[in-house]
Amino acid sequence: MLHQRLITVLTFNDGVLFRTKLFAPDYRYTHNFVDAWLVDEIVALDITRPGNGSGTAGHSFAAVIGGIARKCFVPLAAGGGIRTLDDARRFMALGADKVVVNTGAVERPRLIGEIAAPYGSQCVVVSIDARRAGDRYEVYSHNGTCATGRDPADWAEEAVGEGAGEILVTSIERDGSLSGYDLDLCRRVASRVSVPVLIAGGAGAWRHFVDGVVEGGASGVCTSNIYHFTESSIRSAKAFMRKAGLAVRLS
Amino acid sequence: MSTMQRVGIVDYGMGNLVSVAGAVEYLGYEAVVSHDPRALAETDRLILPGVGAFPDAMRNLHARGLVDALGDLVRRRGTPLLGICLGAQLLARESEEFGRHAGLGWLDATVSRLRPNDPALRVPHVGWNGIRKIRDGVLLKGVPDDALFYYVHSYCIGDAPAGNVLCECDYGARFAAVLESGRVFATQFHPEKSQQHGLTMLRNFLSVH
Repeated sequence: MLHQRLITVLTFNDGVLFRTKLFAPDYRYTHNFVDAWLVDEIVALDITRPGNGSGTAGHSFAAVIGGIARKCFVPLAAGGGIRTLDDARRFMALGADKVVVNTGAVERPRLIGEIAAPYGSQCVVVSIDARRAGDRYEVYSHNGTCATGRDPADWAEEAVGEGAGEILVTSIERDGSLSGYDLDLCRRVASRVSVPVLIAGGAGAWRHFVDGVVEGGASGVCTSNIYHFTESSIRSAKAFMRKAGLAVRLS
Repeated sequence: MSTMQRVGIVDYGMGNLVSVAGAVEYLGYEAVVSHDPRALAETDRLILPGVGAFPDAMRNLHARGLVDALGDLVRRRGTPLLGICLGAQLLARESEEFGRHAGLGWLDATVSRLRPNDPALRVPHVGWNGIRKIRDGVLLKGVPDDALFYYVHSYCIGDAPAGNVLCECDYGARFAAVLESGRVFATQFHPEKSQQHGLTMLRNFLSVH
């Protein structure tokens, strides 16, 4: 049976690991808390904004990716600033198994197919950041700063048509809130595409992971901040998920 | 003691070589990542990794002269080879990914689209899934029956001869998860991405003599 994935998202600002709140770097920390043997997957994102970095952020992030790839024997997805196939190639050469594209794909959806052609669809994760707008949702690009006028489910469907192998949906308002995932957002996207959908933004309790799978229809639940606020570990999160009836990997 | 064993990791412009090399080194072997047939000829065993699309992969292997070179090393000299994911599929006769394309043909099998019988099962098949042991083999030593491995694929080998299939995976369709044919081995999942059980399987392959 395919098991539900508990995915750790690591966000790097200028090569330094930060937790985020409302899509802004919020607090610096180290990733020693990641249980390297029990985490199911790692997503590493470069969130350095143009003009804010030291100018060497690309290099430091590259070093980070190379370091994780050599030490962690779990899948690694890397992203942040991918606009071309060459950008994706660079991450893959450093040891990423997949790349995460967001703004680059919004601006030019064909980018998805350009990466999928040589690497396969399973290599392309399209990340969709959205905010609620009344009873609808709207996709934002550029680190959550630019409204695109697109509906997340429509965009997800189009992205899969272009060759996306997975969709990562993040609620901008929930980011760093610890108040739980936006399950409605996840459900809307998951019901429209046949590829796995991962949910991020807002996990603050183990119960939220269960909700993401059961109510949100997610194939994987992502978290970054939560371990920073709890003494507990990935093992205890997974024990909770298993108790709630989900299939999760404990060894 | 002999010198450290050298493991050739075939670099044909596809897939994640860094993590395969990292796992090999973690296990105490020297990783030689190369597309040069002469460099690969000086290794004790070979890993054909792979992430990506079948036609590009075969084209790249041909363009680097690796189809003949690997054939010579594996088929004639008997160097053990492990194909991983796409690298496993390349061992088959042909694939239907993006049209019909000939593979290396070392396994009497074909690669077809993964078509789960349950529409709720999403494709690509991504994540941690189990194996069902069919027959014993050197790769399975120390691997518990309930071990989980990381799969990420949309195509699979569904028609391999029973004698070559050590383990199957069932994802709304049964396909080969671990294969063995003489000194040619293959896994549909990524042992280098499957934590301790994957490392055990890699270590088993690296101990084949």
